[in-house]
Amino acid sequence: MAVRPAGTFKTTYAADMALLDTRFDQVGFALLLLALLLAPWWLGRYLFLLNAIGIFAIGAVGLSLLTGFGGQISLGHAAFMAVGAYTSWLLTQHGVPFLLALPLAGLTAFAFGAVVGLPSLRIKGLYLAIATLAFQFVLDYVIVHAWGAGGGNVVVGPSLFGYAIRTERQFYYLLLPLWLGAGVFAANLVRGRVGLALMAIRDRDYAAQVLGVPLLYYKALAFALAAFYAGVAGSLFAHYNRVITNEHFTIGQSIDYIAMVVLGGLGSVWGPHLGAALVISLTQVLKILTPALVDLLPAFGRVATPLREVVFGALLIGLLIWEPGGLAMLCRKLKRYLDLWPFPY
Amino acid sequence: MTWHFIAEGTLIGLAVGAIYALIALGFALLYKSTKILNLAHGELVLFGGYLAIALSTALPGPPVLAFVLAVVATLAAAALLGFAVERAVMRPLFGQPLLSVIIVTLALGYVVRGVMVGLWGGDTRLFPPVVPTGVFRLPLPGLEALAVPQVGVWAALVAAVLLVAFSLFFRYSLWGIAMRAAANEQLTASALGVSLKRVFAVAWAFAAAAASVGGILLGLWLGVNFALGFVGLKALAAVILGGLDSIPGAILGGFIIGVTENLLGAYIDARVQLFGVPLHGFKEITPFLIILLVLLVRPYGLFGTEHVERL
Repeated sequence: MAVRPAGTFKTTYAADMALLDTRFDQVGFALLLLALLLAPWWLGRYLFLLNAIGIFAIGAVGLSLLTGFGGQISLGHAAFMAVGAYTSWLLTQHGVPFLLALPLAGLTAFAFGAVVGLPSLRIKGLYLAIATLAFQFVLDYVIVHAWGAGGGNVVVGPSLFGYAIRTERQFYYLLLPLWLGAGVFAANLVRGRVGLALMAIRDRDYAAQVLGVPLLYYKALAFALAAFYAGVAGSLFAHYNRVITNEHFTIGQSIDYIAMVVLGGLGSVWGPHLGAALVISLTQVLKILTPALVDLLPAFGRVATPLREVVFGALLIGLLIWEPGGLAMLCRKLKRYLDLWPFPY
Repeated sequence: MTWHFIAEGTLIGLAVGAIYALIALGFALLYKSTKILNLAHGELVLFGGYLAIALSTALPGPPVLAFVLAVVATLAAAALLGFAVERAVMRPLFGQPLLSVIIVTLALGYVVRGVMVGLWGGDTRLFPPVVPTGVFRLPLPGLEALAVPQVGVWAALVAAVLLVAFSLFFRYSLWGIAMRAAANEQLTASALGVSLKRVFAVAWAFAAAAASVGGILLGLWLGVNFALGFVGLKALAAVILGGLDSIPGAILGGFIIGVTENLLGAYIDARVQLFGVPLHGFKEITPFLIILLVLLVRPYGLFGTEHVERL
């Protein structure tokens, strides 16, 4: 539900459907774009943070389509990421260029997603969540047995038309258009036929079916799209990290994805991006803080190892109790508060 | 697959299955009375095992006495944890969408596991020798004796006794009846004077305690390490198999999972190769394959109520 300040009158359908419909949004987005374009200059050596956020935000956008808009719970999102990563690894090993391997990784994940999504017609809610959880474990097992656990598989760095991408900065400019494209595509999808169908299914699937929304098609499509996003993210991750092991795509990663989507705000276009930024930065901050804490209090050493899990879990619980709508809802409330400030209404 | 392998696998499977059944029972009860799918159940198992082992090594006195005291203290702590979780986390979320509640239980699992592993590390530790170690041999006339670890026999016995005690509790005690009533029809039970808040709190305390007993029993058998948390997922498989809202189903499911895992899983684990790759560790994913199979064929489980949707 969009709350608009008084005085924004739409006179055409195009204006009503616009993604950025107020001057504030347009200027804000332009500034954000500028900041992102110039990020290598103001972030310096912390650019890796933005690279990681971008990769995981792409994956999270997929999950947000499936869970936030489609209402289907998936506890196996990292498995699709693994499909993308391993496909990309296999392809580039056999000499397929990165530029071709990336979409193919996405499409392979798409196919996997469609197949995993098929049972969603029969299985719903909790049971579906458990089925995806089982898929996660089974795929993890397959990967361990096909390509071994630990050690890792070395992936070549990405290259475009013979131009090798080596530095963080080069990778960032490869990632940024993909990230923006992923976000805009999802935003467009959500306001179009597919998004409306998904939201109808989320709210009441049988009612949607009665109204003429083919359930099987849209549920499978939602899974496939989510998997496609995860596959692309997986491929990018593989080429960015240069090493992949099954450890990168465990149930813990799936839960992190859910945390991103929920902390960011379910059913919001901005949510997954905000959530990914929060989760990745928090992980990094804790990674940096933990050794410092151990230096300060040596007795604290062993306790500090799982610090991330504890802080993370506590944050999730706290935020969900305090504001179930996530960061996106908080932003909206803040904006509304500032609109009226200093008057209560 | 020899006759001996089958019989031994079944026996060990039944023993493990009894423990799974106990853990699954808490899971199913919690779901039945609060409609919450507790994905932190495995961490409650971990909580029980870790706390009991820490207390039984820390407490003075003869090991058996220390162990008994530790078990009592652990159960009390688990019940308290259950109450606290219900009061502080679950009650504010009452009526929130399914996904939020699931994620909160996941996050809760993160916190519990983080604290436990942080305090005592993730390595395998063994209980002080309080139960006889060694192998129990079941002699058979004219055939090779069946070997089952003695700890397993004890654990299975304890689990079986507790299962019977719990079913009697639900059948005859006032609290048990109130909880069954609330699970059956919340509004009606509430109108007839059952305090839903108390029922929820007791259900959480009960689930945490049952999980803790499971953790202690498994810990006695296999030692305690961070992987104890994954047992919760096996209990999940048991509950799905039996039907989420059926307590007898959960118990039967626990036994079936235990036996399948130790018979079929162990067999494939040891003997079967696929494309020349030995399938080590197949035992660990057998429960998940069972889940997938059951969900595809009979989504509501063996004894679960089939949910008929109306517009």
